[in-house]
Amino acid sequence: MDIPSSLAIVALAALIHASFQLSVSVLTLLSGHAIGSKRSQAKVLRLSWGFITGVGVMTLLTLSFISLILLHSFGPVDVPLVVWAIACGLVFGIGVAVWIFYFRKEKGTKLWIPRSFAEHLTDRSKTTKHSVEAFSLGLTSVIGELIFIIPSMVITALVLLELPSVWQLAGIAIYVLISLLGLLVVSSLIGGGYSISKIQKWREENKGFLQFSAGSALVALGFFVYISKVVAEASGVV
Amino acid sequence: MHHGGQTLIVKRHGHGHHAESEHFDPDKMRNSIVAACLSCGVPHGHADSISRRITGEVAEWLKDKPEVTSEDLRRTATHYLKTHHPDAAYLYEHHRSTF
Repeated sequence: MDIPSSLAIVALAALIHASFQLSVSVLTLLSGHAIGSKRSQAKVLRLSWGFITGVGVMTLLTLSFISLILLHSFGPVDVPLVVWAIACGLVFGIGVAVWIFYFRKEKGTKLWIPRSFAEHLTDRSKTTKHSVEAFSLGLTSVIGELIFIIPSMVITALVLLELPSVWQLAGIAIYVLISLLGLLVVSSLIGGGYSISKIQKWREENKGFLQFSAGSALVALGFFVYISKVVAEASGVV
Repeated sequence: MHHGGQTLIVKRHGHGHHAESEHFDPDKMRNSIVAACLSCGVPHGHADSISRRITGEVAEWLKDKPEVTSEDLRRTATHYLKTHHPDAAYLYEHHRSTF
């Protein structure tokens, strides 16, 4: 794959990552509690930024870790096609699972994550008072939705391994920045005084669309990478 | 005014169905309604006055009820809050179903 195509795949995978909603939900709840506890707007913004930084750092670490595992297992350029095929299958499978399961079929924006974990995040969001706690909440929330973001990260790691090292760093930076877009938008809205209930209502009204688009994008990504890498190389086109 | 302080509020927890109960605490309800109002951009003074009115109405509803569930309490408070501030009522009702 050439560099622009590789970076386009990284950007698409990051957009899919950004469309997952757990971190956005935690940020909404965290900001809601901070505003409800009569904290200043500056404090609310500091908490939001602490949280977003935590999410960004954990995304960076997870992506680097997956890349390192693949690098040590297969070397920089010799990843077998079967590994690509398995990764595409994973992306495809999780895409279909997202179509079916992502949001629970009840009022609100409850997700298919373990309830004990959701309750832990809810309680931590309520009690978070300092930026460093918000930072660790950000780290934890990435772990909570790992099952949904792993496929995008595996594909990104495989694509990054084929790039020259400078472009690998650029690819990681692109992935992390794009994956934070949803959080940055929500944080800007809250910072601009937008009502949390309006944000939450919008998310609830559009949860079907969010679920469908995230699942479809995963299926499309899996299909595209399978054709452009596995089929193309197996049939000797590239 | 009756404060509903003698009414037992029964909470049900998660999958184990382990039930806990406590007496109705008007301050706790007032604080959570104020928090929901503030999250919707309602000024502090107005949020405080809404929360006092709703807590009074809920206390009146609790009169003569020895025991209610926490879900009933939340539903009733939401019902009264809707007439004052629908956005805050939405947030108050759904605060545990965000994720």
